[in-house]
This record gives sequence, C-alpha cells and structure tokens, in this order.
Amino acid sequence: MKFLITTLELLLLPSLLCAQTTISGTVTASSGFPIIGANIYLDGTYDGASSDENGVFSFTTNETGEQLLIVSFLSFETFSLKTAISKMTDLEITLKEDVNSLGSVILNAGTFSAGSTDKASVLTPLDIVTTAGADGDYIGAFQTLPGTSTVAEDGRLFVRGGDANEANVYIDGLRVFQPFTATANNIPTRGRFSPFLFKGTTFSTGGYSAEYGDALSSVLLLNTIDEPDQEKTDLSFISVGLGVGNTQKWDKNSLSMNAFYLNLKPYQELISQRVDWIKPFESLSGEAVYRHQFKNGLLKVYGGLNYTDFNLIQEDIDIPDGINLNLTNRNLYLNASYKGDLGNDWTITSGVSFANDRNTIKITETDVNNDDNSTHLKTKLRKRFSNRFKVSFGIEQFLGNFDEKVVDPDLGSFRSDYNNNSSAAFTEVNIFFSKKLAMQLGFRGTHNSSLEYTKISPRASLAYKITNTSQISLAYGDFYQTPQQNILKYNNTLSPEKSSHYIANYLYQHKGKTLRAEAYYKGYDDFIKYDTPIPEFHSNYTNDGDGYATGLDVYWRDNTSFKDFEYWVSYSYLNTKRNYKNFSESATPNFAAAHNLSLVGKYWVNDWKSLISTTYNFASGRPYDNPNTDSFLDSKTKSYNSLSLSWAYLISQQKILYFSASNVLGFDNIFNYQYSNTPNINGSFDRRAIKPAADRFFIVGFFWTISDDKKDNQLDNL
Amino acid sequence: MKIILIVLAFFSVININAQTPYEKGMTKAFDLWKNRKIDEATNLFERIGKAEKENWLPYYYAAQVHITTTFSSKDQDNIESRLKKAQDYLNEAKTFSKEDNAEILILEALLYTAYVTSNPSVYAMTHAPKVEALYQKAKVLEPENPRAILCHAEWKMGDAKFWGKDPKAFCPEVEKAILYFEKESPTIPFYPTWGKNQVTRVQKNCEM
Repeated sequence: MKFLITTLELLLLPSLLCAQTTISGTVTASSGFPIIGANIYLDGTYDGASSDENGVFSFTTNETGEQLLIVSFLSFETFSLKTAISKMTDLEITLKEDVNSLGSVILNAGTFSAGSTDKASVLTPLDIVTTAGADGDYIGAFQTLPGTSTVAEDGRLFVRGGDANEANVYIDGLRVFQPFTATANNIPTRGRFSPFLFKGTTFSTGGYSAEYGDALSSVLLLNTIDEPDQEKTDLSFISVGLGVGNTQKWDKNSLSMNAFYLNLKPYQELISQRVDWIKPFESLSGEAVYRHQFKNGLLKVYGGLNYTDFNLIQEDIDIPDGINLNLTNRNLYLNASYKGDLGNDWTITSGVSFANDRNTIKITETDVNNDDNSTHLKTKLRKRFSNRFKVSFGIEQFLGNFDEKVVDPDLGSFRSDYNNNSSAAFTEVNIFFSKKLAMQLGFRGTHNSSLEYTKISPRASLAYKITNTSQISLAYGDFYQTPQQNILKYNNTLSPEKSSHYIANYLYQHKGKTLRAEAYYKGYDDFIKYDTPIPEFHSNYTNDGDGYATGLDVYWRDNTSFKDFEYWVSYSYLNTKRNYKNFSESATPNFAAAHNLSLVGKYWVNDWKSLISTTYNFASGRPYDNPNTDSFLDSKTKSYNSLSLSWAYLISQQKILYFSASNVLGFDNIFNYQYSNTPNINGSFDRRAIKPAADRFFIVGFFWTISDDKKDNQLDNL
Repeated sequence: MKIILIVLAFFSVININAQTPYEKGMTKAFDLWKNRKIDEATNLFERIGKAEKENWLPYYYAAQVHITTTFSSKDQDNIESRLKKAQDYLNEAKTFSKEDNAEILILEALLYTAYVTSNPSVYAMTHAPKVEALYQKAKVLEPENPRAILCHAEWKMGDAKFWGKDPKAFCPEVEKAILYFEKESPTIPFYPTWGKNQVTRVQKNCEM
C-alpha cells in the first residue's frame, strides 16, 4: 500500500524526483494540548499537510532557500515562520487562541448589547419589537432591563438613580438631540424613530467608552441597517394611526422611506381619561434613509421630520379650572455618516448630525416660542495593529444655539438665548492579553467655549474569563455633562455636572441561559442648585449640589429550559440620594424607587401561529414630599404594578394581526402627589394624586408587507 | 484490490488530462472530503486557494465543506466557528471571482440557512430574508442554474411546512431542476455541479 502510494506520487509529480526536503514538527495550543487538523503549508506553494491526532505533521517539498511557513487552524491565530527550508525540521509550533473567536472574554461591564446576533446580546432582534408593553417603542424593551427605573408617566430612560436627562442617544455614532417626541407632564413620551431602521443596539448603564460624553449616567447607541435585504412596501393599520413604508434598491444604492400618522382620539374616546383633551395627541412623521456602497466604504444619510400637536387641560390642585396647555412641535433631524476602509488596517468613521427643534406652546395665556439648533461633527480613526491591539482616536465638535421668546399678557415679553459650543477629543486602546484577559483604556478631553471650561475624563475597563462559561469585569469612568436647556437659557457661567462610575460585573452564559449581576457605585458632584421652585431668570445658580447612587442589577434569561418559551427576569436594587435643583437637603428623588422588577415571557404557539408575550413590572413605592410633615421627600407612594399582554397572530407570512394591552389588571398606580401651595382651613395641605392619564392603553393593528418574495413581514415593526 | 482500482483511476485521469498540480490537488481534496476527512479537505482547498491566487473555486469548496458539515452537527460553538470560517472563505472567493457569481450567492444562501436552522430564535428574523434575497438574485443571474432552483425549492418547502401549507406546490420547481441538471455541462474544470444527488431528499416532500 505504502509502496503504491509512493509510486503514485512519483508518477503524479515527476518534479518530486528532484532534491526533496522534509518539513516536520508538532502543533500545540498554548495550553499544551496537541492541535488536530491544523493546516501547515509553504506560502504560495502546494506543499503542505494537516496535523494528526498528536499534532504531528510532515511533508516534503522541492522548494529551497528561505520560505514562509504558515500554520492555521479554526479559532486560532495564524502562525507564520520565515526561515530556510533546511531549518524546518522538528518544529515546535504553539498557536495562540484567536481573541476574536467565540468564547473570548468580552468587555461588557455596564453594557447591554441588544438586537444583534452576537453572543453577548441580551435581547434578540425579535425581543425588541415583541416585548409586551413596549408597543413598538424602540425604547420600551430597554425598560425591562435591570438598571432602569419604572417611571411610567415619563417614558424615557431613568438609569441607576439618574434622571432622564442624564441619558443620551446616538445614531451611527452621532448625537440625537431630541430623541423623544414632545409631550406634556405626566403623558409618557415615545422614541421618535421607527424600529425597523435599526440593527444592533448598545445600551450602557454606566462606564461607557471615551468616544461618548455629555451624559452623566447612560448612552443608548443605535445603528442603522447597512443594507436592506430586499425591496418591499409595508402598510400598517393601527387603531391609533396609519403607516406606510417603502424600500428600493438599485445598483449600489438603497432608499427606505416611511411615513406615520398617529392620532390618539379613537383610544381617548374609548378609554376614560383623567386628562381633559381638547385636541387629541396627533403626530405626523416621515423618515428616509439613503445608503450608497462605495468600493471601500459606506455612506448613510438619514433624515426625519416630525410634527406633533395637542391641546389639553392639566389638572392642578391650586387652579380649579386646570392649566390649558397647547403644544405644537416640529422636529427635523439629519444624520450623515461615512465609514470607510483606508487600507493597512485603518478605518475611518466620519459624520455630521443636525437637529432643528421648534416649539409653539401656549400655557393658559402665556405664549412660548422657541427654536433650538444643534450640530454634531465627528471623525474617528481606528487602527488595528493585530487582533490583540487596537487604537482609536477622534475629534468632535458640538454647536448649539437656542432662542426663546415668552409673551405674557400681564408681565410682558422676555427673550432668552444662548450658544452652547464645545469641542472634544478622545482616544482609546483595546488590548487583549489573551482570550481570557482584556482591557480598554480611554481618555476624553472636552472644552466648552460657551461655558468656558475644560475637563479631562479617564475611562477604563477590564475583563477576565474565570471559566469557559463565566467572567468578571470591572469598569471605571468620569463623566461630565453641560447643564440642561432650562438652566442655560438663564445662566452660562456654571460648571458641568460630574459623575464617577465604579462597576463590577459577573456574567455567566451557558446553553441559552444567561446570568448577569452587576454592582455599582456612582458618585455625583457639582449638581446645579437654584433657590426658586423652578429655574427662573432671577434665580441664584450654583454648582454646590452632590449625590450618589449605589445598587445591584441582576438579569436572568433562559431560552432553552422550556419548549417554545423564553423568559427573562430583571431585578434592580437602588439606593440613591442627591441634593440638586431646589432640594432643601439630600434626599431620594421622586423617580427613584428602591426595588424594580420586570418579568418578561414569550410563548410561541405553533398551532395558532401566534407569539404571546407578557410583561409584569413592579416598582416599590416612590418618594414624595409631604409638606404636612417636617421632613423633606420622606413619604412613599404605594408600590407600582402593571401587567401587559401582547398577541401577534401571523395570518400568513405577510399579514400580521397584533393586539396589545397594558396594565390589563387595572392596578391603580400613583406616581406622586401634588400638594396645594396654601393650607386649608384645618391648617394642613390638601393633595392630589398624580396618576397615569389612563389606567390602560391598548392598540389593535394589522400589518401587511408586500414584497417580491412574499416572505418578509413586519414583526420587526411592532 | 480496491487500492489498485483507485490507483488505476488516478492513472486514467493523468493519462487523459496530463494533470497539473492544481488538478491533482483539487482531486485529492475532493477525495479527502468524500472520505470524511473534513479538516484535511478544507486545509487542502485553502492551500490550493493560497497557491493559485485569482481562482475562486478552491475557496468556494473550502467554504462548502464547512457549511455542509454544520448540517450534521449539534454543537453550537463548533457550528458557529465553522460558519464564521466559511464566511471568510466565501469573502476570499468573491474577491477572486467576477462580480455577481450565482454559485457563490447560492453557497452564501446555504451559509445563512445553516445559521437559521442551528438557532432559529436568534437568526431567523435577521437571516431568513437574506437567504430568500440571495436565491432570487442567483436565479436572476442564472435562470437555469439547477442548484439555485433546487435549494430555493427546498427552502420554500420548509417554509410551507411551517405555515401548514402544502410543500408540493414547489415540486414542479424540483422537476425543472432535474431537467437543468441534465443540461448542465460546465467547461471550467471543477466548476460546481453538485446537487443532483440531493434531488431524492427534496423529492420526499412530493411523495406525502
């Protein structure tokens, strides 16, 4: 047999008759185990072999002189050796594990990856859109993750004892200045963006990258789709609105457009409302994304225009007739980004975003008109030296201009305006010492030319893999944020507010089960304080406030224990106090409940072609201030409960019937109390409970997708 | 005896073609694959690809070996690392091929199919539309490509079964594929011709 093969080889390769050299050796992993099936060959030739069960290899070659020997294997870094052929005998080759392969440590302290297919993802793409209670709001699903507080009357993200202004949203690395629709007090808002424009999302509850600044608590990073799969038309008929979307592809281009009209009148007629709506909430929005694929890069241009108006009477304990609020908002948002490959492992990401937000508000007899222009320019370069060492750095510029005119029939007219311009530079290194140990170090420097301050903030994170299924990670960072619009319009001499995050994370992942536990401490400093009930022109402003938030976030997800059933549990414990705004002393703010719990379950009923989803939210009582007691913010509301259900019935591949209802059990939830400014005849202050505008919300919808392949549907739109 | 036959077979090949190292290497790689020496087969295809340059076929087959191997695997980590490697090979193949190569598109559709079948709850929503789009594109480029027709029909049948519809609706497509398999006569050596022996499996859906 051996003879035959030898004969065969001789016959097949007459050239083998020339002088031959045998190349031999063994291949092992850094752990010492032999590697079976590694590919060993001389670059640019046919000469090579695979290693056997002992990692041993041997082959012959006619090549002479100096040659390049390559050794490669799945999930390992490719090894190369340039030396004389004659020296390639009894080689002992050790392969290093590829840090980019599966099972590598991940730098995840503070971070949730969602909506992508990567392994660290805590929410699948479908979860984002099918979570009951989220009602197609891109932000809604994130509110079932630990670290967020249930503040149902607001709708924005309250992260780890931070208020909603402490969280920023980015699309393709560029700032979104007004990510939420305009609304009134106590009417929850929604994200402005259609969920179907996005793919992977990163939600950071702290300790995030030096690339991002101007947020004390959190960033939400959304990425638009690079290339739509196909041309299609989407139609949505919902009990509260109508939508149409269309995607076209040609050559290296694609264009997606969609328009949505929302009118809450039908719902407000059916479900009794605590708010007296004069003109129901109505909004019209249009979005378009154009993408062009260059040879070495991708250009994406996003444009969104949104128009919202409503008129309502807000209840007020001191004003028997209530407060008449009429609001019209027009928001324009443009975002253009280019991502390209410069060769030699350099990549560039560059872009600009612009927002114009205009409000016309009438509060009883007072007219408020404001106009807010914001621009963000950014360029980032990234160099990959190897899989183990990457460096990125970039610069960015923010330009802001705000102008407001208030006309009051009694007090006359006021005008306020300000500029808010700042520049920032950041750099970050990413080092994988091994598949088990990784580190990220970054610095960010910000200079605000309008408020005249310069701040340097360090960021660091470290992750270590303990076993095949678990890892620990740590993160630290300093964060600065410019005061909000309501302060800046009266004062531009303040310093930014500051927070420092310290995070320790434990992650366990095994066969569709994930346990994530994170403990954190967040220190706040330089909070803005003022001495009037709300910020006013004549208030005295200082940076004398401070605070802290500490707690534990736990997330458990199980996709595999039950057939067709997935569930996750999020629990957050929060202990926080702050002295800011007009607080008389350090106290826990109204939005911060000590315990938050979310249970989410999704059951796929194959016979019914239905995805049934349920979400239960619990939050312990929220602090409120009772002027009938001596202490400040020391009373607590009863706890919050809500059970939401949704049912998506797939009539066919392209037609979906959807039903969703929130708080189906009708829990009577109270968020806060408003006390009268003046005591009653008994000398005590009367109060009014602040409750949801309606106990329940429901929608019924029919979604129809028309595409060539009759396959796509709008599950990702719900 | 068997060995002698193989040897003879080899000789006959040599005699007819006066084999080049490329042909010899490819033949050997196919043999390794046939004998279930999966890693050795992909290794050899990869080596040939590196040595040949400018030829997409070795990388195409290196990818195909990995993809087809995952269909019989249950180890999710192994599946995903193989598919990741297969994607790398496909990318290599694309750089050496003319633009819009139907065969590469079909193989890419199979790659995404492998992702979907291995873990539907994670991959179905994002990858299933890609599979569909790739088959459609391949069929536009080569309306008579039997692999595109057969694989697409099988994918559609799976879909029909899920929706409680009759997969037999796609049986005429299978017949069409059989016809085109007969007509197929590639001029480039080692050009993809696989798929004929999968007809029986797909046709099982037509017997119910």
